[in-house]
Amino acid sequence: MVGVAGLLAGIAAVWVASFGSFRPPLIPGTPVALLVGWSFIASGLASWRTRPENWLGPAMVGTGFLWFASLLQQAQGPVLFTIGEIFQISYLAGFLYVVLSFPSGRLWGALDRALVLVTVGLVTVVQLAWMVFAQTRAFICDTCAANLLEITDNAVVAHAVLQFQRTAGLAVMIATIGLLAARLLRASRPQRRAAIPVLGAGLVAAIVLFISITAAVLNAPSQLNLTRIAGYALAVVPVAVLVAFAQRRLARGVVAGLVVELGAPASALDLREALSRALGDPSLTLGYWFAAESRFVDSAGQPVDLPGPDAERQSTVVERDGQPIAVLIHDPALEHNAGLVDSVCAAAGLTLENERLQAELRARLAELQASRARLIEATEAERRRIERDLHDGTQQRLVSIAMSLGLLESRLPADTGQARPLVIQTREALTAALAELRELTQGIHPTILTERGLPAALDELCRRASLPATVHAVVDGRLPDRIESAAYFFVSEGLANAAKHSYATQVRVTASSASGSLTVTVHDDGIGGASAQGGTGLRGLADRVEALGGRFSLSSPPGQGTDLSAEFPCG
Amino acid sequence: MRVVVADDAVILREGLARLLTETGFEVVGLAGDADELLDQVERYKPDVAIVDIRMPPTHTDEGLRAAKTIRERHPEVGILVLSQHVHAGYAIELLTAGTLGVGYLLKERVSDLTELAASVRRVGSGGSVLDPVVVSQLVDRRRVDDPLAGLTAREREVLALMAEGRSNRAIAERLFVTEHTIEKHVKNIFETLRLASSPDDHRRVLAVVTFLGAR
Repeated sequence: MVGVAGLLAGIAAVWVASFGSFRPPLIPGTPVALLVGWSFIASGLASWRTRPENWLGPAMVGTGFLWFASLLQQAQGPVLFTIGEIFQISYLAGFLYVVLSFPSGRLWGALDRALVLVTVGLVTVVQLAWMVFAQTRAFICDTCAANLLEITDNAVVAHAVLQFQRTAGLAVMIATIGLLAARLLRASRPQRRAAIPVLGAGLVAAIVLFISITAAVLNAPSQLNLTRIAGYALAVVPVAVLVAFAQRRLARGVVAGLVVELGAPASALDLREALSRALGDPSLTLGYWFAAESRFVDSAGQPVDLPGPDAERQSTVVERDGQPIAVLIHDPALEHNAGLVDSVCAAAGLTLENERLQAELRARLAELQASRARLIEATEAERRRIERDLHDGTQQRLVSIAMSLGLLESRLPADTGQARPLVIQTREALTAALAELRELTQGIHPTILTERGLPAALDELCRRASLPATVHAVVDGRLPDRIESAAYFFVSEGLANAAKHSYATQVRVTASSASGSLTVTVHDDGIGGASAQGGTGLRGLADRVEALGGRFSLSSPPGQGTDLSAEFPCG
Repeated sequence: MRVVVADDAVILREGLARLLTETGFEVVGLAGDADELLDQVERYKPDVAIVDIRMPPTHTDEGLRAAKTIRERHPEVGILVLSQHVHAGYAIELLTAGTLGVGYLLKERVSDLTELAASVRRVGSGGSVLDPVVVSQLVDRRRVDDPLAGLTAREREVLALMAEGRSNRAIAERLFVTEHTIEKHVKNIFETLRLASSPDDHRRVLAVVTFLGAR
């Protein structure tokens, strides 16, 4: 309906105007005049239909009608002529609103609002004020119809009003040019991609208008040509809006491409990459919902932080059946294209859910690994504490009792008979108890490991082994406590295992550290056939190695000895 | 004989001082950590410093390190290290680093006053003392192609007592044989192990301990 009205209004205006050839045409010829008005109305309608809540559509349609109304200044009849004069430059207010409020249809800044308000005032109140004083012949043209609004012919006042209108118009144009230029420079990549046609066209039109008003103020002879060029520049604006509109359509096509891409085998797919391509935001971050901890994690299971309310990034949470599955952290410009984000999220939903499950699994694994390592470390710390307590407490007390017994023995009179053997017996029993306690504390935590490091401790271990054992250890400096400890107990268990089951004649132990890892091996020349299955000590050995993120390996072919090896990360 | 005692546990430090006084030593200084010990050795120049291996601040092997420092600054001061753990490696380190008068004993040896007094005297007069438990760990170590396999049981016994730092006469007394018999055993042992024999007790200990520790 509005479209038909616009079509007819254009034809009518041009028809009326074409008869008013008494004055030099202000407009840049019939085709361009129609193009400007119709393109405003058409692209306004298109925008209005897809986004009814956005004021941009109605504003553009209105601007189109105002444009046609301004063509009436060419009319012969005084009524139509006067209407045309009233609306002579009113479309400029519409133009300004469209350019400044694109793409949201809202004027966010105080300066934007002020500019539009001032312009509305200039093209309505000031325009009417001028017409009250302006006589047609003096101010418009000799052959034009009469200005029906003229009350008194006062050339001085009319001239002053006109100069004021033009000067204020210049100021508005300068501010607009500055504003648009700043906006273009500041825009992030996705923002720029969306806004560049409209901002660019607006900027060009504003510059041309600025030049043409300047020419009018200076009364330059080229005034008419400039007005024509300004007309062309204006026509570009709705075309630019249409282009931006088409871009959005193209983005929809991108979603179709995304769907095809998501069909690829999961292993070949980088979901974040695909989504960031589809959304045109290379800085896109993807997080998956980790329900167990109510937070988002990345594909490696590491936590992802959501941007705060004032941050320069925005987040869109993707839900499925009311449950969050993922979050897209993206450029705020995408907010203006919520439709695209929604379509992309919908298209990627199933894949996202899939990836989420995998990310959750990885996060759980990472957590499990960390908790195993923490357990080992806690056990290790506890062993140290117990060893220390035994050393500082029980052992010292027993030694001091042994001293007292020694003293007692020395002070016994020579003729005590049976007392002396009893004291000696007690003393020897105490010494035996201390020896047992010593073995026990060494088994809990070998002090030499803390004091001298792994090679010395392995040396001591092999010295005491019940099989001939040799050590070859090349370790750079000290390693983390938990690693030294794990390596020590690995060798200790390995030696015990060889002594118990292998019937070996000798064992060879090696330890070497290189590029952030420690490799420890225990090799015997026994009967082989050992297995980490079935509740042997070897299973526990493997568990401890793996709990610290290490790799355990066992090679034990029958008749060819047993090779135990553990590789620990110690970065 | 003048002695300095270093142990961070008051109860053991005081107890040890009392035992030593009882057995005729003059305890000239008591120290609670390595720094104090070094100060007192500097000041009193004792014949022997008796040092607990584990002392503040780290409670690891401060005693051992202090012992080495004393060795460097005052080689004439005998050092007897007491340990609650059997670390043959430490003992060998200590013995091979020094020239005269060093000992390594387990702490519980303090209950046998006679043995303790003998050990302190031996260290004070430039001899060596190695705890029997450490020695047996060295002697009994399992080896491939064990060089000690060529020794008789008696010779092994003599070897162990030699490693403990005892003189031929002391070994003879202990085994209820004549000193001459022990001399014969020692000669055999040195030949079997292909060690150069030495009349000096300390060098003898050093040779034996180095031999045992190396394999």
